[in-house]
Amino acid sequence: MLTTISLSLLVQALINGLLLGLVYTLISLGLSLTLGIMGVVNVAHSTLIMLGSYLALELLQRLGLDPIISAVIAVPVFFLIGVLLERLLISRVARTSQTTGLLVLFGVLVVIEGAAILRWTTDTQVLSVSYTNASLTLAGIAIAVPRLIAAAIALVLVWLLDTFLRSTLYGKAIRAMAQNRDAARISGIDTDRLSLLVFGLATATAGVGGVVLAMIFPFDPQDHYRWLAWAFLVVVIGGLGSIRNTLLAGLLIGLIETVSSVLFPFQYVYFIVYLLLVVALLVRGQGLAGSQSRAL
Amino acid sequence: MSSALLEQVTARTRWRRWLYRGLGAAAAVGLLAVLGVLIPLDWVTTLSAVFMYILLAESWNILGGYAGYLNFGMVTFFGVGAYTAGVLCTQYNVHPLLTIPLAGVMATVVALLVGVPALRLRGVYFAILTLIISFLTQVLVTNLDITGGASGIYMPSLPFDPFTNEQIFYYAFLGLMLLAVLLAFIIERSRFGYALVAIREDEDPAEILGVHTTWLKTQALLLGAFLAGVAGAIYAFHTSYIEPQGTFSLDISIDVVLMSLVGGLGTWQGPVIGVPLMLVTAQVLRILAGELPFLGSTIPPEFDRVVFGIILILVALLAPYGVMGLVRRVRGRRLTV
Repeated sequence: MLTTISLSLLVQALINGLLLGLVYTLISLGLSLTLGIMGVVNVAHSTLIMLGSYLALELLQRLGLDPIISAVIAVPVFFLIGVLLERLLISRVARTSQTTGLLVLFGVLVVIEGAAILRWTTDTQVLSVSYTNASLTLAGIAIAVPRLIAAAIALVLVWLLDTFLRSTLYGKAIRAMAQNRDAARISGIDTDRLSLLVFGLATATAGVGGVVLAMIFPFDPQDHYRWLAWAFLVVVIGGLGSIRNTLLAGLLIGLIETVSSVLFPFQYVYFIVYLLLVVALLVRGQGLAGSQSRAL
Repeated sequence: MSSALLEQVTARTRWRRWLYRGLGAAAAVGLLAVLGVLIPLDWVTTLSAVFMYILLAESWNILGGYAGYLNFGMVTFFGVGAYTAGVLCTQYNVHPLLTIPLAGVMATVVALLVGVPALRLRGVYFAILTLIISFLTQVLVTNLDITGGASGIYMPSLPFDPFTNEQIFYYAFLGLMLLAVLLAFIIERSRFGYALVAIREDEDPAEILGVHTTWLKTQALLLGAFLAGVAGAIYAFHTSYIEPQGTFSLDISIDVVLMSLVGGLGTWQGPVIGVPLMLVTAQVLRILAGELPFLGSTIPPEFDRVVFGIILILVALLAPYGVMGLVRRVRGRRLTV
């Protein structure tokens, strides 16, 4: 009896892990795109995710919009935010050293976080809609409905982006740019405009990622560092240049999180993920940079 | 004019310039020392904070400024120092004065354990790793029993009246700050300093030319960590209560970087200029926030973080060498070294 309970608990953890993993893939994609294609380490990425969560909150409270609709609205809104950021800052940063870029993006992080605290205070928020506490039970295994919806949205977006990059002319041009920016320019590709597109897309995935995270987890303006660490871990493990590898890494991190939260007290999940990230960076961090400089 | 005479004249002007510099420094130190007994309590407290941040920024500057390795987790060493003092003092009854050097040693040990492998990484990856290590330490301290967990540690207070207390910390931070500034001044003129700058400019050729990059970076890191640990210990006794959220706050790490950057990375004057500038800015912003109505409502005092972020962006983009860079440009000197 006991074994069947723990077995179904384990299966539940595995399914939850895979669902979470899809969401983690979505929030990591932007980081991977900007790093792999533009060589920009966007530490402000997680504050954009946090803004996505607050967009969902505002739309729900003011207009009563369901987060599913907010996820759709987030795409153009955050694409525009990304385009603005690229024009104002990132295009300047790309011409300087990577460390200058890091300082600038830390500045962006501080500004967005500070502004969010001013606007929404440091109180923890939750999105509560009709299906927030609903769950589907199948063969003794309960799956939360919001997680299912969040994972579905993430899956659709990841698939769309993968298709875009692999089968359209724009996607081809972007991949060419990631391989060799100068050669791409010589072949007539407008790399400045494509950078705009890439950063817009990366920001859009962060925004939608924030909306779907808000369906699953409570949020506040300061807990986004967690998502920064998670996203970095996915990027470091998955490597650059392939959305499929990012997906595999995202699923792995989702599984690690849910399985370790079954085995250990909740607060150790943070410890485990941070520790994994430290190890992953030490083992692979420079390799990531190496493959990037080879690609560029 | 014969060359011997020319040499004599230049030697004399050089000697005179050093004399003026020495006199200026002595006057500044004397003034600060006298101020400790003259000015009111809240000014003593404010200046102590200025000294502490200069101390931290100078410690950060050794590796971050001269060698160009941006450590975004300086708070790790500071927090470890604070907690070492706290734990030793409250649970092992070690004399408070003894805990301060021990805190420095502990911070150095932590730097050795986590920082040395981190130094294998370069550029942004080193920065990200140090950031994550500060989060990791914070989670660890929040969940360990020995550190009192999230509820923190109450430090023993010194057996003096409040004003004497503040003055003690004023002189402690002043002394350490002077030591750190002097250290940076010496490093800037030593082979050690030149080697660090060589690492910043281009690490691989430096290594090929015979600079022991790994060992030098390690030394720079450990030196900074020791000073930050000592600063943390004194901070712990000063605030009398430490808990993981505030003591390991990312704000401290970012402020240290920002203040060094505003003053000028890789110069001993940088932190001395940047820290008061930013702390005064923060103070003015807080006062303004209370008075200026903004779009019909008053501005909450937390908006200084937003202004700090904007300053960080602007300085990094427009004046990457900070105030010292501007000064040097006006004087027509070279920007680096």
